[in-house]
Amino acid sequence: MSAHAKPTRSRREFLTDAFCGFGSVAFAAMLAEEQARAAYLNPLAAKPPQFAAKAKSVIVLFMAGGPSHLETFDPKPLLNKLDGQPVPKEFGTAKRQFIKGPPHLMGTKRTFKQHGRSGLWVSDLLPHTATCADDLAVIRSCKSDAFVHSSAQYQFFTGRIIPGFPSMGAWALYGLGSESESLPGYVVMPDPRGSIEAGQPVYSNGFLPSIYQANVFRPGKKPVLNLDMPAGVSVEQRQRTLRLVHDLDSARMSPDDDEFAARLNTYDLAFKMQTEAPAVFDISRESQATQEAYGVGHPVTDDFGRRCLLARRLVEKGVRFVVLVAGGPDVSQWDAHDDIEENHLRMAMKTDKPIAGLLKDLKQRGLLDSTLVVWGGEFGRTPEAQGKGRDHNNTGYTMWMAGGGVKGGVVAGATDEIGLNAVTEPHHLRDIHTTVLHQLGLEQNALSYLHQGRRERLTEVQGQVIQSIL
Amino acid sequence: MLTVTLGVCAWAAGAGDSYTPAERRHWSFQPRANPAPPQFQSAADRAWATQPIDRFVLDRLNKAGLKPAPPASRRTLIRRVYYDLTGLPPSPEEVEAFVKDASPNAWPKLVDKLLDSPEYAERSAQHWLDVVRFGESDGFEYDTHRSDLWRYRDYVIRSFREDKPYDQFLREQLAGDEMAGNIPSSPEESELLIASSFNRLGPLRKNGGNQDAAYIRNEMLIEMTNVVGSAFLGVTLGCARCHDHKFDPIRQKDYYRIQAYFAKTRHRDIPLYSAEEEAAWKKKDTAIAAEISRMKKALPLEDGPERAAGEKLLQKKQLEVPEPLPALTVVEDDPKQFTPVHVLTRGNPDATEDKVSARPLGILLPEGTPELPDDTPKPRLALANWIADPRNPLTARVMVNRLWLHHFGHGIVDTPNDFGRMGTRPSNPELLDYLANEFVAGGFHMKPLHRMILLSHTYQQDYVPVMSAVAKEKDPDNRLLWRFPRQRLDAEQLRDTILTVSGKFNPQAGGPSVIVPIEPEVVGLIYKPSQWVVNPDANQFYRRSIYLLEKRNLRLPFLDVFDSPDRLLSCARRESATHAPQALELLNGAFTREMSRAFAERLRREAGPSPAKQVERAWELALSRPPTPLERDRALSFLAANPAGEFTLAMFLINDFLYVN
Repeated sequence: MSAHAKPTRSRREFLTDAFCGFGSVAFAAMLAEEQARAAYLNPLAAKPPQFAAKAKSVIVLFMAGGPSHLETFDPKPLLNKLDGQPVPKEFGTAKRQFIKGPPHLMGTKRTFKQHGRSGLWVSDLLPHTATCADDLAVIRSCKSDAFVHSSAQYQFFTGRIIPGFPSMGAWALYGLGSESESLPGYVVMPDPRGSIEAGQPVYSNGFLPSIYQANVFRPGKKPVLNLDMPAGVSVEQRQRTLRLVHDLDSARMSPDDDEFAARLNTYDLAFKMQTEAPAVFDISRESQATQEAYGVGHPVTDDFGRRCLLARRLVEKGVRFVVLVAGGPDVSQWDAHDDIEENHLRMAMKTDKPIAGLLKDLKQRGLLDSTLVVWGGEFGRTPEAQGKGRDHNNTGYTMWMAGGGVKGGVVAGATDEIGLNAVTEPHHLRDIHTTVLHQLGLEQNALSYLHQGRRERLTEVQGQVIQSIL
Repeated sequence: MLTVTLGVCAWAAGAGDSYTPAERRHWSFQPRANPAPPQFQSAADRAWATQPIDRFVLDRLNKAGLKPAPPASRRTLIRRVYYDLTGLPPSPEEVEAFVKDASPNAWPKLVDKLLDSPEYAERSAQHWLDVVRFGESDGFEYDTHRSDLWRYRDYVIRSFREDKPYDQFLREQLAGDEMAGNIPSSPEESELLIASSFNRLGPLRKNGGNQDAAYIRNEMLIEMTNVVGSAFLGVTLGCARCHDHKFDPIRQKDYYRIQAYFAKTRHRDIPLYSAEEEAAWKKKDTAIAAEISRMKKALPLEDGPERAAGEKLLQKKQLEVPEPLPALTVVEDDPKQFTPVHVLTRGNPDATEDKVSARPLGILLPEGTPELPDDTPKPRLALANWIADPRNPLTARVMVNRLWLHHFGHGIVDTPNDFGRMGTRPSNPELLDYLANEFVAGGFHMKPLHRMILLSHTYQQDYVPVMSAVAKEKDPDNRLLWRFPRQRLDAEQLRDTILTVSGKFNPQAGGPSVIVPIEPEVVGLIYKPSQWVVNPDANQFYRRSIYLLEKRNLRLPFLDVFDSPDRLLSCARRESATHAPQALELLNGAFTREMSRAFAERLRREAGPSPAKQVERAWELALSRPPTPLERDRALSFLAANPAGEFTLAMFLINDFLYVN
């Protein structure tokens, strides 16, 4: 969240943290006293990246429940040929959460076509996204460590399959601070239908100080908790109350008391937020054409369209990290166990047009170059049938990135011929994390926080930057 | 300098099971020394350093060319010690009585009174619950409530209340069930069984469908093992799960040998319900599950208003799913379900290496100490006895350091869960050993140790805002304690104080945890909103924060924003951040809104209609002192033109309210 923040840990400790353990104390000692004081007073002020960054902001489009790669970006003609047959031995096996007994393969009913100048393969499930093919870098060889939702979701956001660790957005804020004083630096917009299975800890700052916490937007017109003044309190009244706080504090404070000054400043910043932020949340200020492009106003796409449009308005104002979740509890997510067609058509209808609207709008405004967009779920889905549906598959699935210095119209890696396992240039989720940090100008090892004897990092174990898409 | 050079090992690590002399020399693995308190020449020094703690502290200060701060005023002291020991502010009457008490025994009397108070036990328990990551739900997607785990919380409070020796306290938690044997008492009355809930405090993953039994078992073992390192031993044992510890002489084998003490430990849920209740529960659960399944199938395939309405009904129906029946969540030994413990390559349960058996940490044993046989009875008690052995160099040091930390905001070792090489060195090693020796010699009782610390001149120093040039150069972080440190109220202190000051505080102690109302949109952010069933009795909302339900997947926004930990990992020391969302919570949040009104009413009730008297009373209640003339003027002129509720709100925002000197 924007603003003056300070862990009460000592100033020197603070400076170590403020530079993310990178150069740390020695580096901090070289700073002029004034600079150090400024950083102490406003630790969320934007910080320079560790090296030249391509992206300033990140938008994560999280498709909760796990969308199928086989119905979207990873065509498998052999799978259709083997429809109804057992999995040939040469493809090996994988652990499954629900499928019992020897599984049978299931072909897809979707049709794939090549799109754009690049000829990127996209299925007819996502006709709007397909029009942005030349901006997408599709990573077809993703893999991760968990095949149940909660653990896989923790890993998607925090790098660990257990809760308690800081989320990507918190790391980004810790590394780079916020460009905006009147908006939170790290925003999550959950599906208004409710929480994803792993719950709030996926967005958490973990053991990082609460300065780096996510602002989880609520559905409706007033997304930020406590941003509005209570009923019956006027702006003038609030200003007078804050004046009293200043008067009482300054009567007893020594002038060089940084800690108290920082505390007093938070009230000014809170006031600034509550007066300036609501205008940013008001998407009715956008033209009809823009709203239309996102699908705002149409029953199926309205919700996700509004959130995509708000995401653009936020990054435009300097918000560092935005997470948009498509999919809430139970039947409202991409978790197509019962019927892949029914589920995916429904989920795709809600998200496809808004996502294309977002990409085109960002591009048209020149924001796509500085905004990295990441699309994906906590895993993909099995080539094996579970009735008419598909089970969870964490050993080979697809994610894509766009903008933020990533090449468009390219494919990285591949799964085997039935889409079961990532076999060519496999990318563990930590490679995705490493690449996101890299585009922000942060190096995975340098961005660390000493917690109980370990320098903790988002990636835990060394990841690789996915060079082929840069 | 606290700088550590990363990645450069100062010693050559020993191989396998042997440890090099250099590894064994690390300070915290050495037996405690028996340092004699330093002597002083100057009369002034001798007058200040009347007891050992002060002598150790003053010696360090002198060597750095620093002087202790003058003594704090009575008024400052009483507020400090109330927050420190009870987590609550003193009443104005208690403040006045203490300020006027001319007897030289006034301070020790006050300290003894507070150490004997139930609030002391609640406050101390809060610290311990942080360390053991006490949460009352499973976490992960089900986040099922552990509806009777409050019994463990109350057990912890009782233990502090009666000043249970720490060695006993830790034995009971690690091995209470093994100690209980055939004690003839009902399960819910058995302190020992309830204590063993300690082994069940970690998050627990459950999932539908195929069960990956080996993985889930492995996760349970990890939770039980890691906390032994962080809570009792102050070593980052968990770092050695995937490979030999990179910085400390803890081999991967050591990790799994500790885990082997838990090889036959199983979860045991002792039902606290009758067969009829169970049958009724099952009937209700089955019926609702069937209804939900029917509703799901009836949902229109096409997205749109009709489906949205159907989904909403479905969610409403899910609110009716009954919560699990009450049960004690404890552990037991079951030799039939023994899990052979192997070293796991990179921690992967599918990649087993050598089988190991229980043995304490090798670095603290003679070379070649054998493992215990797998059929050793009461293995956790054996582990607890090793930890609690007075000769264990870590246990007492780690605990006295925690006690010190809560008095001074920093430990003597500033990384209370890590006494290894990545942790900080003790700022005053002789003092640490002296305190640990006293702790052990006094039979591991905590109250005498608190008393000794609180009666020291070191504790009774003033907070002086100005830093001398020498202090700035030699000890800007005040690690040597040349002044008393100022501290921000932590989340629970702040909430409890606001309740107290506004006269709403409900002091009821113990019992089932309370669920307070929060905004529906916030409840909507949990996966199962049905789990947030608000307590029907509004008076319960004003209970002490320690009695509020600690749900892992829904943290109370008020506590969360003021750095209350997330109960997923052990928290040794609270962060204390300062940022705008805290300001928004205080300014616009429903809690402070309600409390500021209650505070204004209380002022009218107790001070009458006179604004001057109300201001006087507001200062006494909120800040334990009268206002200065300038403050009085400013408050009065504000009150003349603004609502009283805004004045009382301002009182919650000022620095003198939020910080304690």
